[in-house]
Amino acid sequence: MHAHLDPSPPPRLARLRPAVFPVLVLGLLEAWARTIGHGSDAIAPPTAAIEALAGAMRDGSLLRGTAFTLGAAALGLVLGSLPGIAIGTVLGLSRRATAASFLSVELFRPIPSVALIPLAMLAFGFGLGMEVSVVAFATFWPMLILSQAAARQVEPGWLEVARALQLGRADRLTKVVLPAMVPRLFVALRLGVAIALVVAVTVEIAANPNGMGYAMMIAQQSLEPALMLAWLFWIGVVGYAVNAATLAMQRRVAARMGEVSK
Amino acid sequence: MTAAELPAPARVSRRDTVTDWRAALASLPLLGAVLGIWWLASHGHWVSRVFLPTPEATGASLLEGLVGGELAAFTAATVGRMVAGWMAASLLGIVVGVLIGTSAAARAWIGPTLELVRPLPASAVMPLAISIFGLSGRMVLAVVAFGAMWPVLLATVHGLASVHEGLREVARSLQLNRLAFVAKIGLPNAMPDILAGMRLSMTVSLIVSVVGEMIASQPGLGQAILLAARSFRAADLFAGIVLLGAIGFVSNALLATAERRLLAWQHA
Amino acid sequence: MTDKVLEFEQVAIRLGGREILSPTSLAVGHGEFVCVIGPSGCGKTTLLRAAAGFVTPSGGTVRRNGRAVTGPSREVAFVFQDYGRALLPWRTVRGNVSLALEAARAEPLARAARIEQVLRTVGLSDHCDRFPAQLSGGMQQRVQIARCLAQQPTLMMMDEPFGALDAMTREALQDELARLAAEQGLTVMFVTHDLEEAIYLGDRVIALRASPSHGQPSLAAILDVPIPRPRSQLETKEHPDFLRLRRELYRYLGHA
Repeated sequence: MHAHLDPSPPPRLARLRPAVFPVLVLGLLEAWARTIGHGSDAIAPPTAAIEALAGAMRDGSLLRGTAFTLGAAALGLVLGSLPGIAIGTVLGLSRRATAASFLSVELFRPIPSVALIPLAMLAFGFGLGMEVSVVAFATFWPMLILSQAAARQVEPGWLEVARALQLGRADRLTKVVLPAMVPRLFVALRLGVAIALVVAVTVEIAANPNGMGYAMMIAQQSLEPALMLAWLFWIGVVGYAVNAATLAMQRRVAARMGEVSK
Repeated sequence: MTAAELPAPARVSRRDTVTDWRAALASLPLLGAVLGIWWLASHGHWVSRVFLPTPEATGASLLEGLVGGELAAFTAATVGRMVAGWMAASLLGIVVGVLIGTSAAARAWIGPTLELVRPLPASAVMPLAISIFGLSGRMVLAVVAFGAMWPVLLATVHGLASVHEGLREVARSLQLNRLAFVAKIGLPNAMPDILAGMRLSMTVSLIVSVVGEMIASQPGLGQAILLAARSFRAADLFAGIVLLGAIGFVSNALLATAERRLLAWQHA
Repeated sequence: MTDKVLEFEQVAIRLGGREILSPTSLAVGHGEFVCVIGPSGCGKTTLLRAAAGFVTPSGGTVRRNGRAVTGPSREVAFVFQDYGRALLPWRTVRGNVSLALEAARAEPLARAARIEQVLRTVGLSDHCDRFPAQLSGGMQQRVQIARCLAQQPTLMMMDEPFGALDAMTREALQDELARLAAEQGLTVMFVTHDLEEAIYLGDRVIALRASPSHGQPSLAAILDVPIPRPRSQLETKEHPDFLRLRRELYRYLGHA
């Protein structure tokens, strides 16, 4: 962003700037909902939504829903990314393996994860298993593709050093290839985390009667717009927080691995 | 957290499309093995027949559904929804992206809000949309357009912001007005990002279309596979999944090819 | 039995259909500091890599201590030109030097002592826990040299190691290298495009021609550098032999 194009406000106020636009929009919404849109089944004033959110916090439904969604997303991510990273690394290191797997990957990868929701429903019934399996499928492919790229793009200079020092095959893998892949793997993980959360919520909205997405659907069906908006807001907050946490972790790892911010 | 810290939408490489005939041939054996395992698993009842049909049954259902049955119509409905939503989303995304991306003030004031909304799943606004539009085709289209808009919008803003300072100074010395700057420098510079964003947008569009069909009971492949699952018709379910995979594959391949042609100057 | 550490017997190298090096013979004795110069594309880096065992000659034999070379070996330490890509960025200075000892399966206790010693030799003791990204170019190159010393090599191959550094750092490192080589009795093969550097550092200078060159062999000349050691940046460069060699080699490079 080019700071010299707009006059920079005093530092303390500048920190509030990101909040101005959302607050403005919410203010307009509040005004509209309390006047013209009063009594609507669709929109509720933001203040009512906050009340509903507090209510959900008090009766424990917020915690239950959030825990389920995050748990399912995390479990699915682990089940999907571990094999994804392992297979992707093997493919990235071996040209022959990449060639042999080309069609199998390219034909199965484009299947939208949501298409598997009915199948998962059939196989596991409603609940954790169904959601975890769909999230695992959704995260497996991007992790595979990105680890493959990370393994393939290890700096050739480092591999030459390994050759010059006559590092054994195992040592070359553990001391050069894998550490070299770590920064890119963490970037991939950030993407994986985002995908896991999105898919988990989507499964809940589409079919699974558990978690945050389902709570939001129920609120809408019971014509409780305040609660529905509360859940929508909360889902956004959780998504933002999880992404921010993953970014912080990525930065920490990068710093520990010698990447100096200039 | 800036848009720049996530990897820029993956650029198309020559290996992304199936025009790599040699690679396709070399990988037939493994694919055959996978299909073979499917055949064995289904015939050997490794998993219940209820959710693993045989390959032949799937093929038969596909053929039946496409030739005489409703699968063709369903596919057309889903594809139509996906493409319509995607076109609306891309247009909206580019227009709003240009409005935000060319104004430093807009970027400063509105930019952070974009970052807040970015992690929100597109499907999450569906309950809200249902309240407003009811369970209708219009609802699905609205959510698709909204959800698929973000990758294009963010890509446009990022692409415009990444114009090199040098190029900006050239524009200033040539006294280009804002519209001319956008048309001649900004958008062409942003083109790789925008095209990659549009490809991502198509993926989102397909997903949201399918979910929308499932929830709002709109005719299409989404509803079809949900009904198939509820009636324990595994072969029909798999046939639907195959078609959805095919839609994803073909749309991505077409866009990737278009992207490569349009960005030929990058590989020149 | 031979006292020659490195021998090229009619070594020819073709890569990608092109003849990079015409059949060339040369020998490097124990403790010698040999510099290889030539214009771009003359094959000097390829010659170095063949000596180290990275490249297999298409004709002739490379011998190290009498035995034919079939591949890289821990006896040969290779200093790469692009130090940025030759150091592992996620390891500290200590960690990078340690890599050589880990590869050689040295005893963990002996490792620490050796690392300390080697870092002291190149003057990096104060920076042992820094990451490469935090070091200047000259220091990064010293880390590479330290890693090579840790290998306790018989031969040290250096591929334009100071090419990317500024003049002052380059001169400082040249003197350090000369001192090290003398102290440790190293046999060094040093590739550079800098004529003066080659004469300043070397006991002998090997001049190559651009390849292929109108039917002329790659090897243009091998000249002795009779200037006594230790050498100094100011005085040596005014020595009559220095100026003579400079004129002669310039001529060779000019014809290439």
